Amino acid sequence: MREYSHPPKWANRFLEWICSPEVIETVQGDLLELYGKRESKKGKSRANLHFILDVLSVCRPFAIKKSRYNSNNYAMFKNYYKVAIRNLMRHKMYSAIKIGGFALGVAACILIALFLQQELSYDKKYADGNRIYRIINQWNESGSEGKWPAMTAPFAGVVRDEIPEVEIVGRLIPYNWFLGGSNLFRNADEVQNTFEERFVYADQEIIDILGLPFSSGDPKTALTEPNTIVISQRKAEKHFPGQNPIGKTIILNDVSDDPRIISGVMETLPSNTHLDFDFILPLASVEFWPGEQTSWCCSNYETYVKLKPGANNENVLEKLITIRDKYYVTYLRDQGNQAADDVLLYRGFELQPVGDIHLYSSDIRDRYNHGDIKIIWMFGVIAILILLLACINFINLSTAKSANRAKEVGLRKVVGSVKGNLIGQFLTESILFSFISFSLGLLLAMVLLPYFNELANKQLQLPIGQGQFIVTLILSMLIVGFLAGLYPSFYLSSFRPIEVLKGKLSMGSKSSGLQSGMVIFQFTASVVLIIGAVIVNRQMGFILNKKIGFDKDQVAIIQGTNTLGDKIQTFKTELKKLPEVKNATITNYYPVSDMKRDQNSMWIEGREEIDISIGAQFWRVDYDYIETMGMEIIQGRNFSKEMATDSISIIINEEMARQLGFENPLGERITNGLARNIIGVVKDFHFESVTDAIEPLVMVIGRRTNMIAVKVSSDDMQSSMNSISQLWERFMPNQPIRYEFMDQRFAEMYDNVKRTGNVFTSFAILAIIIACLGLFALSTFMVEQKRKEIGIRKVLGATVSNLFHSLTSNFLKLIAISLILAFPMGWFTMKRWLENYEYGIDVTWDVLLISGGLILIISIATISYEVIRAVKMNPAETLHSE
Amino acid sequence: MKLGSFEELVLLAVGALKDDAYGVTIKEALEKNTGNKPSIGALHSALYRLEEKGYVSSSEGGATTERGGRRKKYYLLTGTGQKMLVEANEQRMEFAKQIPGFSLKPE
Repeated sequence: MREYSHPPKWANRFLEWICSPEVIETVQGDLLELYGKRESKKGKSRANLHFILDVLSVCRPFAIKKSRYNSNNYAMFKNYYKVAIRNLMRHKMYSAIKIGGFALGVAACILIALFLQQELSYDKKYADGNRIYRIINQWNESGSEGKWPAMTAPFAGVVRDEIPEVEIVGRLIPYNWFLGGSNLFRNADEVQNTFEERFVYADQEIIDILGLPFSSGDPKTALTEPNTIVISQRKAEKHFPGQNPIGKTIILNDVSDDPRIISGVMETLPSNTHLDFDFILPLASVEFWPGEQTSWCCSNYETYVKLKPGANNENVLEKLITIRDKYYVTYLRDQGNQAADDVLLYRGFELQPVGDIHLYSSDIRDRYNHGDIKIIWMFGVIAILILLLACINFINLSTAKSANRAKEVGLRKVVGSVKGNLIGQFLTESILFSFISFSLGLLLAMVLLPYFNELANKQLQLPIGQGQFIVTLILSMLIVGFLAGLYPSFYLSSFRPIEVLKGKLSMGSKSSGLQSGMVIFQFTASVVLIIGAVIVNRQMGFILNKKIGFDKDQVAIIQGTNTLGDKIQTFKTELKKLPEVKNATITNYYPVSDMKRDQNSMWIEGREEIDISIGAQFWRVDYDYIETMGMEIIQGRNFSKEMATDSISIIINEEMARQLGFENPLGERITNGLARNIIGVVKDFHFESVTDAIEPLVMVIGRRTNMIAVKVSSDDMQSSMNSISQLWERFMPNQPIRYEFMDQRFAEMYDNVKRTGNVFTSFAILAIIIACLGLFALSTFMVEQKRKEIGIRKVLGATVSNLFHSLTSNFLKLIAISLILAFPMGWFTMKRWLENYEYGIDVTWDVLLISGGLILIISIATISYEVIRAVKMNPAETLHSE
Repeated sequence: MKLGSFEELVLLAVGALKDDAYGVTIKEALEKNTGNKPSIGALHSALYRLEEKGYVSSSEGGATTERGGRRKKYYLLTGTGQKMLVEANEQRMEFAKQIPGFSLKPE
């Protein structure tokens, strides 16, 4: 008999796979017969080709399997869907809690994720950003470690010349320093001044390093000429609407003989950069005082470098040390400064990647409002916790309700469903729930976003239109739905049909171990969050109400008063004549943030060559300063106009006295080059954040005229400010008055801290709500299961309190365990958090009592609602059907 | 009930082959008589339709080795099928007669 060769196996398989059994019989027979004929006539390869083409030609509707699986699957899915929806509708309360809790969690997660994404996006967009660094000073003496970014003026030039790894180096002064900070601004051909903030000084190289984009003007030469200025796009639009600002002349602070020409318009800085300026003044040919640019005395320049590709950071750091020794230490030795040896020992450097500046600068003293990687972690953990809590609700409710589904499972198994089908069913259901929850959560996030923005002081937007966002959302929806459904579906699908159909399944009278574990987890997390929230809020209250050493209330600071020129003393005298005004003082130095600061080196007179200097704030104030600020002289006396020698007298704070080592500092002389007589000691007051230790400070009589602080006596602030404004208008008709209240400024200093506290509290509350929702549903369910038991017990004489006790004890046990777990966790976490604060509160037992009590009350209230209702029910109602 | 032109040809082939009409022979008959090579898919598709419409009936034959153990499915022209063929033919003739000076009879 002839050997029949075979057509390509895969084609044959494909044919068998695609065709329905009736068709395959005839068609395959025909094809094989044809194959045989063709092979003998035309050869194997032609026959193969024809065979494949014929197989493809069979792919027509008539032949294709009325695919048993597909259509049936579809029907099954339809059925799953229908059953899920029916279940959802039948148990409205469970479904609402399941979905609502989930949606809350999802909304919280979306908001937190947006917040985190924004925080993490800071300074990540620069070209070659991985080669851009800010140089940071370190002081490594144990006990007085410190980091700060300011360098001396000639430092950058030396770095450029002596470190070959450096491609570009540039300096930036983001401080209130000469014209840095805020100024009056006007177009040269106008008279009206506008107050503008966010001025900095910078080298041309800063633009080159960061690649700041310009909308007009040449970014390569914008800062190379003195007396130019670069302004941001938004300020260009504000001051020169519809015009080209390039080449326009502007006047700062009404000083007409120092005009500046606009050399470039940079694009407005995005919100996610640590930089915050609208105006750049060039450092080219600038010398703030004679010899300033070449002196290693004073550190005022933040220095940024871009390294060459492949440069080794370690080598750069080594060379920075060489520079330290070669220039700075030499300078100190020339000055006879005893700090030289310490500098050799303790002074180091660090290259801080530009992308790290926003989140990793909490230990670096610069003037930016930084984010904090710790907060990022904290919120990340909170987001995951909240989502977990929501998932746990879902899992707990699904398994608790298992009794209701047990008969369904049993019946499905009896009519042929296998475990896999049931798992599929419950996963489908869980993903359906997840879908509804995510949709609701997204809606909720949209609604809540404005409030969240307010709370966190952000301008976040939901990137609804972005494909990436949608895909992430859908993926998380599937993953969360899958994971949350995993346990319930395995649990539910493993019921044995005979038992459940006989009604043997214990009707959830005892919560399973896992269920209890999850309740414990939920409440542990909630209690830890409550402890956190209580302590954060206490610490914030402690900070805000701390005795700060001066009186910030009812003080208005009028700004831009330097333009008064010689008239300033007259203005002050007139001010003090107003009935509402208690006192007034002219100076630039105030104990709130973002004000003028001067750090000086001080010695006891005659010991300059022996002692290491004491770094102290050196404030130039006037005779009324201490009184206006409500500071307290605890030794000696205030400055007095009657004493002619007071122009070279000095008042120090307690910390300065302590560091000088004087028991009685009065009459002693200290110097920063000019020796002065100590006439008084002022009680320590906080002039930086209350979170930091108070540093040494000295005050001398001097003339600094940018601001006048006015202490107002009247309670009617509005009318007082009106009369002050009228007086101002008489003096300065072309300059609108600008003032702020010191207590507001003070509160702004702690805005960030307060915000963090508020956000933390909100999410803690959210977590508790979710946990309680779960507890509520669980207890309701338990009560439902025990309805008959309650009825029988009542009939047999149980009292309401008996029943209440027996019903709640199980849950209360779980909550007690949570408390035992949560106390040490909360205690230690918060202890560590408080270590960040120089002046921190103690974690006392009452915090634990409060949070424990709170959670107990909330949870008992949650459980009681249903329990009491059930217990009070007439037993006849539950039992009459038996 | 309509009869497509390819279906008509298949129907003719089934009629012509009498009791030896199954996939391969029908295909060969069509190739021989029309010169076109219908694909197996198209052919079976047409056969299924014709069977549905009741113009052909089918019966299963024996399996052979050369067909990989698969049975043949024999088709037979039914009464309706035959009537349908006659009708279609007449209709065409009637139509063609309307062309002036045109004769369908061979010269």
